[in-house]
Amino acid sequence: MGQVLFIVWRESVEAMLVIGILYAWLNNHGAAAARGKRYLWGGVLAGLLCAIVLALGLFGAAELFSGAQDIFQTAMVFSASALIVHMVLWMREHGRTLKKELESGLADNAARNNWWGVLTLTAIAVAREGSETVVFLYGMLAGADGSTLLSMGGAALAGFLLALLTFFLLQLGGRFLSWRLFFRVTEVMLLLLAAALFMSGVEHLISMDYLPALVDPLWDSSALLDDMSPLGGVVAALTGYRAHPALMSLLAYGMFWLLVTGLMRWRQQQSAA
Amino acid sequence: MMRAWLMVWALLLASASVWAEDLPVYRLELKDGKLNPARLQVAAGKKFKIELINSGKTPVEFESIQLRKEKVLGPGVESFVVVHPLSPGEYKFFDEFHMATAQGVIVAK
Repeated sequence: MGQVLFIVWRESVEAMLVIGILYAWLNNHGAAAARGKRYLWGGVLAGLLCAIVLALGLFGAAELFSGAQDIFQTAMVFSASALIVHMVLWMREHGRTLKKELESGLADNAARNNWWGVLTLTAIAVAREGSETVVFLYGMLAGADGSTLLSMGGAALAGFLLALLTFFLLQLGGRFLSWRLFFRVTEVMLLLLAAALFMSGVEHLISMDYLPALVDPLWDSSALLDDMSPLGGVVAALTGYRAHPALMSLLAYGMFWLLVTGLMRWRQQQSAA
Repeated sequence: MMRAWLMVWALLLASASVWAEDLPVYRLELKDGKLNPARLQVAAGKKFKIELINSGKTPVEFESIQLRKEKVLGPGVESFVVVHPLSPGEYKFFDEFHMATAQGVIVAK
């Protein structure tokens, strides 16, 4: 449940960030620009529809593969992990200039009175965040229905409301929270989550006998923090903590961080050059 | 293309179930947050199979982080997991969709 809430919260804040910048700009550029707001909300709607279509596509695919749940789950956790890393890298590069890029695009559109551009821009932003949410949540939603779906829907709704609140606090202008801090903290949490997902993918492979466990278990720290307890379970899901790790899991965890820090360094050099 | 992939999956699954054929089998029934039995005694040092039966009206998820297993079962669905040889000891598992009540343990002797 904690994961559902966190993901929905963070993705919603990102989508709201784009919508909020566009909205504020349209609001402050005269009556002509204010007319563009209708297109903004149209874009939000179109984006949500795109995300839903993508979700249905995913569930359709799952139906076909229902017999091979393990393999499908493994593929999903690996893609979710890769998507998170990609998103963090993207936000690092564009987060700082996002506002300027959006506004110059808007000014272009406004000059040509082309509000369909606003609609497309918003739709893409919302569909992007929305579909990412769907992909991340997929693994948890797979096979869930009835009561479970209801409580997951509750967690998702709570995440969305929390996002509205966060956005409101951030809009107040850094008095309570700054965007920079928000992104820095959630970035670390996202990368930890990606590492946890990557490791659970590797453990799926071990479990299916595609990878050896090597030494299993390497140690037992369940007296300290038991990953099968409710609290330990959350820590395990968000960070990849294991009370009885196999050597292979540990190697995978280390490899993930090496890869991510390497990628970050490389991208930084690329953008500096 | 799709059909070819489905064939591959089907073959993989079939071979997996053949390979699991002569393992010791233990039965575990999951029913809306109740486990039957909640304590599963197995032979240590021997690969084994747990047959999972969801006889309840809500979906269940058999999960053990320690054993690296998770399996979602819709109402009325049967499935299984194969567990690698365990050293003597206790291994916890739970039904993730009914965390509050469905806590079980596998005892390897």
